[in-house]
Amino acid sequence: MSAVDTVTLTSPRARRRRLLRKRFLRRPMAVAGLVVVLAFVVTAIFAPLLAPYSAGATDFNALLAHPSAKHLLGTDSLGRDVLSRIIWGARASMQAGFFSTVLAILVAVPIGMIGGYYRGWVDTVVARVTDVLLAFPFLILAVGFAAIFGASLLNATLALGIGAVPGLIRIARGETLALREEDYIPAAIANGAGDATIIFKHILPNMTSTLIVQATVTIPTAIVGEAVLSFLGLGVQPPTPSWGTMLQDAQSYLSTAPRLAIFPGLAIVLAALAFNVLGDGLRDILDPRTTR
Amino acid sequence: MAQPVLDVTDLSVRFDTDDGDVHAVDRMSFTLDAGEVLGIVGESGCGKSVTCMALVRLLPETARIDGAALFEGRDLLAMPPRELRRVRGRSISFVFQEPMTSLNPVFTVGHQIEEVLARHLRLSRGKARERALELLELVRIPAPARRLDEYPHQLSGGMRQRVVIAMALACDPKVLVADEPTTALDVTIQAGILDLMRDIRERLGTSIILITHNLGVVADIADRVLVMYAGRKAEEAPVADLFSHPQHPYTIGLLGAVPRPYEGDEARRRLQEIPGRVPSLRELPRACAFADRCSRADELSRTEIPELREVRPAHSVACFHPGPGAV
Repeated sequence: MSAVDTVTLTSPRARRRRLLRKRFLRRPMAVAGLVVVLAFVVTAIFAPLLAPYSAGATDFNALLAHPSAKHLLGTDSLGRDVLSRIIWGARASMQAGFFSTVLAILVAVPIGMIGGYYRGWVDTVVARVTDVLLAFPFLILAVGFAAIFGASLLNATLALGIGAVPGLIRIARGETLALREEDYIPAAIANGAGDATIIFKHILPNMTSTLIVQATVTIPTAIVGEAVLSFLGLGVQPPTPSWGTMLQDAQSYLSTAPRLAIFPGLAIVLAALAFNVLGDGLRDILDPRTTR
Repeated sequence: MAQPVLDVTDLSVRFDTDDGDVHAVDRMSFTLDAGEVLGIVGESGCGKSVTCMALVRLLPETARIDGAALFEGRDLLAMPPRELRRVRGRSISFVFQEPMTSLNPVFTVGHQIEEVLARHLRLSRGKARERALELLELVRIPAPARRLDEYPHQLSGGMRQRVVIAMALACDPKVLVADEPTTALDVTIQAGILDLMRDIRERLGTSIILITHNLGVVADIADRVLVMYAGRKAEEAPVADLFSHPQHPYTIGLLGAVPRPYEGDEARRRLQEIPGRVPSLRELPRACAFADRCSRADELSRTEIPELREVRPAHSVACFHPGPGAV
């Protein structure tokens, strides 16, 4: 049969990839999540091409206009096109979500792995400091950050990244503690591997799937966090568009034009939901206990 | 006589635990000659594995190791960690019991063998791959070229153990320590692995330390046997002499507990078990550790530690009342 032929002819790596793809495609929610996530990412990257108007363009003939053919989602109090601003605003959200997560992983994973691998007093310090940081309210940290370094998207991203570090340290540490007990670790040591080889070649690759899943749930938290900070005036500064600043602008018109809050709100919900659903799907397919 | 490859004197291992010291190994001495297969037997927890792991310091930090282990004229136990890492896997290799889990699941078999080669011999990618293929052929894995690109989960237990052996042999080690290499495998595969080990010894001249609790395996492949009990050496003899003239009551007990088919009526006898249990290693008595389970034990056995003495050529035993016969 041809199916048998293809199986024996392809490399194991390709086979595993195909298996993962098959498992993924069998989960419609995960696929939907991926589609929406990609849509947001593409939107953010190609905002100048996709947005019908520039983010700051005002149409004084249509202040607080209802949705129409000209302005698909209506306009705000300054006559700016809501759809265009949501499209431009996706940039801030995606940047904050992506970069803060990357930053958090780069900081947290080495710390967590060192604690989990060497144990002893190093680990005690890592674990206790993590506990303290977890107990520390993230918003106060962000406010302090904005107060010291000024409010900007960059600083909000840094604050969000730092906020995500303790949780990730915990996960990296826990995974390392578990993985270092695997039989292939003493086997590698017996073959002359040093600490660096053990950590980077034997432990890190075995925790990538956990990290990927964790990243997909950290990103939406950061997206919501960015909206919160921008809403409070600690993140993106007007007139630069962001879903958070749009919500803030909408506050004054909640009774007369609730759509101004609803549309960016929906964007936030949709983006966060899509990442979470994608993360759930990835967790399912990457979990070795999932039957093939 | 030629210089032994490995010369261990008075090796002791203690573990510092919260409930006090555990004496896992007590003043073990032994040698290993070039091309020799030394079997170490004893029941679980008697210190077989700890003895061997102590040689290249693979034990957790709570272990206190005393004594000396001379390898190529250098004391492994006093070697700085950096140099020790160059010995591990290159001059002295290990094969562990669990073939199912001692390979890293995320890398191909070939990659893992190449990693060892790159580390110790600094081989280029292409060279390492050639050598990896050669090694898989050496350990007689079917379709070796294809296996190179397969992941551990795609191989059977027996094949994985062969891969582990291939990795251990990658740098032509002087000593191969096989810690219960066949225990997790079924009987036909066991025989194949033992054949392979014999073949390796003959073709490469590798000295092998074989740790096992299976006397059948020892009879099959070892040249010399060392019987351990409660962290001490109970008896040491050439394999044929041990089986024909066991001296220590514990050895006699072990041999009595091996099922033997085809011995006429006698085969229907009940297997002889050794009464009692292994003493706790926390409070090793100043006495023969086996005294409580031994019918020959007397006042002397309970108050003095028996020293090793040679009772037959190359055959030594730590017992006050050695000799053949029922116990």
